[in-house]
Amino acid sequence: MSSVATSEDAALGGMPDSPVAMPRGRRRTEAAMLLFAVALVAFAYANVGFGLKGSLPSGMAEYMIAFVVLLALAHLAVRILAPWADPLLLPLAATLNGLGIVMTYRLQEVGRNGNPGTMSVPLSSSATLIQIVYTAIGLGCFVAVLALVREPRMLQRYTYTFGVIAIVLLALPALLPASISEVQGAKIQIRLGGFTIQPEEFAKLALALSFAGYLVAKREVLSLAGRRVLGIDLPRARDLGPVLIVWAVSLLLLVFESDIGTSALFMGLFVCMLYIATQRTSWLLIGFVLFAAGAYASSKLFGHVGERFQIWLHPFAGTNAFNNAYQLVQGLYGMASGGILGKGLGAGQPYLTPLVQSDFVVTAFGEELGMTGLMAILLLYGLIVQRGLATSVSVKDPFSKILAGGLAFILALQIFVIVGGVTRLIPLTGITTPFLSQGGSSLVASWILIALLMRLSDTARRPPPQPIQDEGMTQVVNLS
Amino acid sequence: MNRALRRISIAVLVMFVLLLANVNYLQAFEAGNLANKPGNSRAFAAQFQYQRGEITTADGKVIASSKNVGGVYKYQRVYPQGPEYSPVTGYDALYSESGIEAAENSYLTGNSSKLAVRNVIDMITNKPRKGATVQLTLDSNAQNTAWNMLQASGKSGAVVALNPQTGAILAMASYPSYDPNELAVLDGPQINSNDNKLLKDPAQPLLNRATGATYPPGSTFKIVTGSAAFSQGNSNPNTVVNAPTSLQLPQSTAHLINNDGEVCGTLGNNKATIITAFTESCNTAFANIGMQLGSATLKSMAEKYGMNDPNLKIPTPVAQSNFPLEPDQATTALSAIGQKDDTVTPLQEAMFSAAIANNGTLMKPYLVQQVQAADLSIVDSASPTALGQPVSPAVASQIKQMMVSVVNSPDGTAAAFKNAIPGVQIAGKTGTAQNGINNSGLNDAVFTCFASNGNRSMAVGVIIQGGGYGAAAAAPIAVGVLKAYLENG
Repeated sequence: MSSVATSEDAALGGMPDSPVAMPRGRRRTEAAMLLFAVALVAFAYANVGFGLKGSLPSGMAEYMIAFVVLLALAHLAVRILAPWADPLLLPLAATLNGLGIVMTYRLQEVGRNGNPGTMSVPLSSSATLIQIVYTAIGLGCFVAVLALVREPRMLQRYTYTFGVIAIVLLALPALLPASISEVQGAKIQIRLGGFTIQPEEFAKLALALSFAGYLVAKREVLSLAGRRVLGIDLPRARDLGPVLIVWAVSLLLLVFESDIGTSALFMGLFVCMLYIATQRTSWLLIGFVLFAAGAYASSKLFGHVGERFQIWLHPFAGTNAFNNAYQLVQGLYGMASGGILGKGLGAGQPYLTPLVQSDFVVTAFGEELGMTGLMAILLLYGLIVQRGLATSVSVKDPFSKILAGGLAFILALQIFVIVGGVTRLIPLTGITTPFLSQGGSSLVASWILIALLMRLSDTARRPPPQPIQDEGMTQVVNLS
Repeated sequence: MNRALRRISIAVLVMFVLLLANVNYLQAFEAGNLANKPGNSRAFAAQFQYQRGEITTADGKVIASSKNVGGVYKYQRVYPQGPEYSPVTGYDALYSESGIEAAENSYLTGNSSKLAVRNVIDMITNKPRKGATVQLTLDSNAQNTAWNMLQASGKSGAVVALNPQTGAILAMASYPSYDPNELAVLDGPQINSNDNKLLKDPAQPLLNRATGATYPPGSTFKIVTGSAAFSQGNSNPNTVVNAPTSLQLPQSTAHLINNDGEVCGTLGNNKATIITAFTESCNTAFANIGMQLGSATLKSMAEKYGMNDPNLKIPTPVAQSNFPLEPDQATTALSAIGQKDDTVTPLQEAMFSAAIANNGTLMKPYLVQQVQAADLSIVDSASPTALGQPVSPAVASQIKQMMVSVVNSPDGTAAAFKNAIPGVQIAGKTGTAQNGINNSGLNDAVFTCFASNGNRSMAVGVIIQGGGYGAAAAAPIAVGVLKAYLENG
């Protein structure tokens, strides 16, 4: 039993020889796994230096110390604020975040200090430092969420506030002039000075919170069956309202921001949470049919969307590989050249893929760490999702259940959409890879997501208060 | 709600399994196909990560090597002798190879299956991978002489020298040539610009005239016509044939005359022996012989000497030397003296002499002597094989007698070279081929010859475009190459 757990026992009024077996907080497991994560990241960082120059990268000590201090602080905060939280979430996220920093450093060095290659959009020479600052902000938000949200159910009070926040965040880039919001034909960001914010990353979380609150309130109504068609219980027509509103919002995203990836993400999130809340298969079907119809129609109506389908189906046809499918094809070539074991960090040519540091960062890992490394990274994501779903199953209160399930699912869906997109499993849509992509918005939002899952798992695993009768033996106070 | 959650977990599991399966498919199964897609610059770069094997001459002179220049494309190809050897070596550029660089690419890169075990051992022992060295049959002395003399002539043409006993190619030069270093730069746009310049050059420097182009053989083809006649068994060099000063071609108003309308030999009455007709290169005598033999017989003999073969590789591909079946007597007469539709490569010219020098057996020409892996073990070496036997040893000696007469007889067309190499008997045949539409072009000078000093022997074919008389433009180069080779043996 860990020391923290023991003090926790004391706080709950238990005794060392309490007859009830206490669940463990497992904070020591978390610390050990964090050490493992740090060792892995430090090894990868050194590997980049050896791959490029044959020596340790300069500045490695400072960066790694900063990374360790940040993680230590986060771990301490968890010990105090969420002692019962799942012990794997923080180390898993830290590993991915660290690998993201390593890849940012690797790509920052392209064409610098005599290293080969040129980037389509070169990273600044302080990109790694900035990424560490983003990590600090991300972990700061992580601690802040744990500190502010002591009880997940309190978030239910802000259902409509979160809904409004989400819609404002989503609408903002569409309403702003293209000069500060458009990137590669999609209006998805806000450019402020030298920094860009992608509001959709935060809108995603606000929507999940809002949906969870709404569904807890309305799930009884939504699960009332209307007519039965082909063995499926269809909901009453008047209850279709909220589904149609979300569908309309996701379509508007498509129309005004040409962002099919985020649109799919939102639709998937809503339908998933609706299904958890009502357990009605009909909602899944309705959601899927509505999204497919919307996507098909927009692929016919809007060139940007239709082109994505053509690139996906025929990347090598004609001159596609040298024109609009160039990025996808270069990513595939990179992964192919990595093969099973990879070129080694610093030894591949990921810079040949345009914008490899953001959407295509997975192909850079595929090229340099190989199929083996990429599968390991996918399994890290898979484990986070699994911890989230396990939390959702074990947590008692319906709001927490729907929220945990929704957050775990949206992470899984985001990985599926972007990794599937760059590996040509599905049409490519530009969304970020959580923790790995270079940039701040996605990283901070991902850490907030992990903080919410930590809080939910803390609630799920926290032992119930001991009954007052069970106080144990009378205390003997020695007054010698 | 847990039932729904479990179903969603299964859906998530399926999503991750799909991603993992697709990564396996891409990086393990599809990787090879993707690497071979045109425009995959990563696959290009991979070729330049290892030191490519060297190309050397038979006497060990390095004519292509790889230099470590750092960067994405680590190794750059260097050709120390530039244009002298480029018709043989070709070039190794970013996107393509030619010549030996292309034909022996798998050995030079080290990708050959014969080198696979060594590559694994190198990987385990952490030795940098290196391609195998390709040693050619070329003699640097003969090659250098051939190139210098071609360059000095200033006319486009080519020289090929063979070892008649084995078929080993001892010299192969073509002029004008190009500097392969210009195409070995590791800079795509620069290569394209250099390549375009070479492609647009009217002098056609990229054309390897030695094996890649064909020219009319002219009177050197009389070796084939003579071979066909003697192989019939009813004639020999002393047989007297009709050799008029002017011959009217059947079903034609055209007249065929000897060079400058000369009378052939001293017998008079429009008669001459075959050896005299050969020595003085009388066209009418061989036109008559050709008409008597018929086009089919001539074609059959030409093919035994290696003509009409589209598949010869040395290991670089060789252009087909042509002798089509002629439809009538008039064209048969012209084809018998190496005009009309007859065309040959300079290599084919050398092969005519080589077969005679080797007692009638024609050896298959080859350029690669052996391939040596980086650990110095021999992974491949040449085994001389016969391409065929165009003539019997007896006929070969009769043709040799006539070719010696061309050099030794005072009336011979190459009499000037009688004592060109002290103590060495040269046997040869000149050709002065008419060219162009209605023969309006300058005559091509052709010479094929062979000689031996008892220790070494060599057969040479030379064609100089627009060189005029074979004896004047082509023979000095051929004899120069013979001399350089035999006197250094």
